Amino acid sequence: MGEHEAARDWIRSDETAAQMLSRVLGDRTLLLLPPLHRVPLRAGNVVEITGSSPTAKTQILIQSAITCILPKTWNGVHYGGLGKLVLFLDLDCRFDVMRLSDMLKCRLLEANRLGNGAWWQLEKSNVKTCRSAQDKAKIVYDEELYVSCMKRFLYLRCYDSLELLSSLKTLHYRIRLQEACGSQVGVLMIDSIGAFHWTDRLSSSLALDKNNRKSLSLTNVVETIVQEMKKLMQVHSLVVIATKATIYEEKYPTNENNRKLSSNNDLSGNASSKAQQPPFREFMPSSWQAFVTHKIFIRKSGDHQSSGQNTLSAYSLEWLQPQLSSIDRFIVDDVFSLSTRHHTFTETLVVQNSVEIITIVR
Amino acid sequence: MAPLKHLEMENPIIDACFRDFCSSHGILTVEDFLLHDIYELAALAERQENADRLKEGITVMLSLIEVKCRPWLNGMELLEDMQRSKHTLSSGDKETDSLLQGGLREGQLTELVGPSSSGKTQFCMQAAASVAEKQDGSVFYIDTGNSFSARRIAQFICGSSDAAALRKRVLSRISCHTVYDIYTMFDTLQGLEVALRSQVQKNVNEYRLRLLIVDSISSLITPILGGSGSQGRALMVALGYLLKKLAHEHNIAILVTNHTVGAGESGKTKPALGETWKSIPHVRLMLSRDNRNSNCTISILKHTSMPSGQTVKTTMTRNDNQQYL
Repeated sequence: MGEHEAARDWIRSDETAAQMLSRVLGDRTLLLLPPLHRVPLRAGNVVEITGSSPTAKTQILIQSAITCILPKTWNGVHYGGLGKLVLFLDLDCRFDVMRLSDMLKCRLLEANRLGNGAWWQLEKSNVKTCRSAQDKAKIVYDEELYVSCMKRFLYLRCYDSLELLSSLKTLHYRIRLQEACGSQVGVLMIDSIGAFHWTDRLSSSLALDKNNRKSLSLTNVVETIVQEMKKLMQVHSLVVIATKATIYEEKYPTNENNRKLSSNNDLSGNASSKAQQPPFREFMPSSWQAFVTHKIFIRKSGDHQSSGQNTLSAYSLEWLQPQLSSIDRFIVDDVFSLSTRHHTFTETLVVQNSVEIITIVR
Repeated sequence: MAPLKHLEMENPIIDACFRDFCSSHGILTVEDFLLHDIYELAALAERQENADRLKEGITVMLSLIEVKCRPWLNGMELLEDMQRSKHTLSSGDKETDSLLQGGLREGQLTELVGPSSSGKTQFCMQAAASVAEKQDGSVFYIDTGNSFSARRIAQFICGSSDAAALRKRVLSRISCHTVYDIYTMFDTLQGLEVALRSQVQKNVNEYRLRLLIVDSISSLITPILGGSGSQGRALMVALGYLLKKLAHEHNIAILVTNHTVGAGESGKTKPALGETWKSIPHVRLMLSRDNRNSNCTISILKHTSMPSGQTVKTTMTRNDNQQYL
């Protein structure tokens, strides 16, 4: 009888559809700030942001990280974050923590302003005359909240592929340690995934004579990285966001040429190839390409004249997968910087969102 | 990383038996181990007679890897490290300092791009003099084009009283090294890394190395680029990472110079070294000189914490030099 019971238990469904739905819906979708707002992301998604350097890729990562580390609400003020940990794997080794800190302070202030409009109205008139914004800021944003958010941001730099592999191998244990402390990991960020492409390619040529021994070649390394990340994502509900710097020069840098190219493709009766042909030269091995679920491409789109004398670069962002028909144009303005560092253009600082969006529908 | 055999001394669990099991799956070194699926390996170990012992070995290997990993730092720890040991150094030029919100940052690699005779070397020497004089740091100057001139550096020293003694003191803190190819460059930098590490242990901290200048880095890299082979680019990337590692771990500001090349038919110029190099420096500055007067324009091509596109005009007094000579 006992055996039958066990067998029946085994056959019995794990959960009903209703239970599953409530579980999946409980897994909140990760709504990111513009320019990543077009497609809602959920655990298990792998987003790849491609663009040559500099196209504000790290900026977008940091912005998303802040959304993740901010709590939903705190002391009655709505911050709209996820309250989860961010793991930031820095392969480019040029992350600037001041940027994170400044942008976080800016977001905290912004949320406070929305939650406490009267105060801001009162003070806003003073902003332009009084330069010491940081004095007021200290009163306004909650230091305790700021510290707890900063502590949810976890950072690691890797100088080569082997370091990356060993950190991924041991990541599961470290995440478990964190989760034991009561915090969940929301996003794993990689900046940027192709960083060791050339050095790995060089080691591909150093073939090993032992035939059953895996060589440290580019394909093997990337395959193992993908494998490790897949395993992590089975156990932990994560979103992966990776940037990818293009390593080849764009052959058709202007939009016009791109259009020419695609119209040529149309003429040859091969319209579907246009969708598959990325606007940049793909260099990551196929194992990585198959792993990615969402693809974004950013390119520089001329200069944007701001109110001051400085020209700021404008960028256009395109969703390649899923393919969307709109292109977002955005400029990166300086954040409402609260550090004591010297600023040369305080006039343009009163911008709450550091990324401004202009949408063009094709 | 080591062959597994070398690990046995300290970890008796990695014995001949465990190594036999590993080598039957093509694992001879720790690197090989990194490339393997551990769960798969554990499942294979399960089938062996001494499964428990083998699995224990795998766990030991994992913990050995974990020890070697750098620790994860949270945002507050990063901020603390930054405020404690990553200061900004004045480049000796007021306008540039205000553009860069203080100057060259320790821990960062700053690249100065400009056409020939746009004042790159001058900027480097001015920065060297400024750091050696005002920030009591020593400067490691790597010269690849025989353009280093102690006399010109001496001009930038602006102390008023007892000029000769001050000059001597400041110049003694600047060491110049001539390097003509990338392999010697790796040698020099690795030697420097060893020296710095032993310095940390001895805690000799009189004049800490604060600024490393490579003028110019492009003349070392350009000869090995070209063609479709990956070797040149791999060396370039490796050099970039070696510099960034030095900068971060020993809190050194690094300043390198790069030349410009023509970009297509439009007659425009762009920085040399191509697309891959773009991801190496933290800050890229473009230097251009107005031929009619001594005005220079410095603009930010890339900065890790500022939007690109900002520009500042500065005057670099090239004439001074001629008067002196």
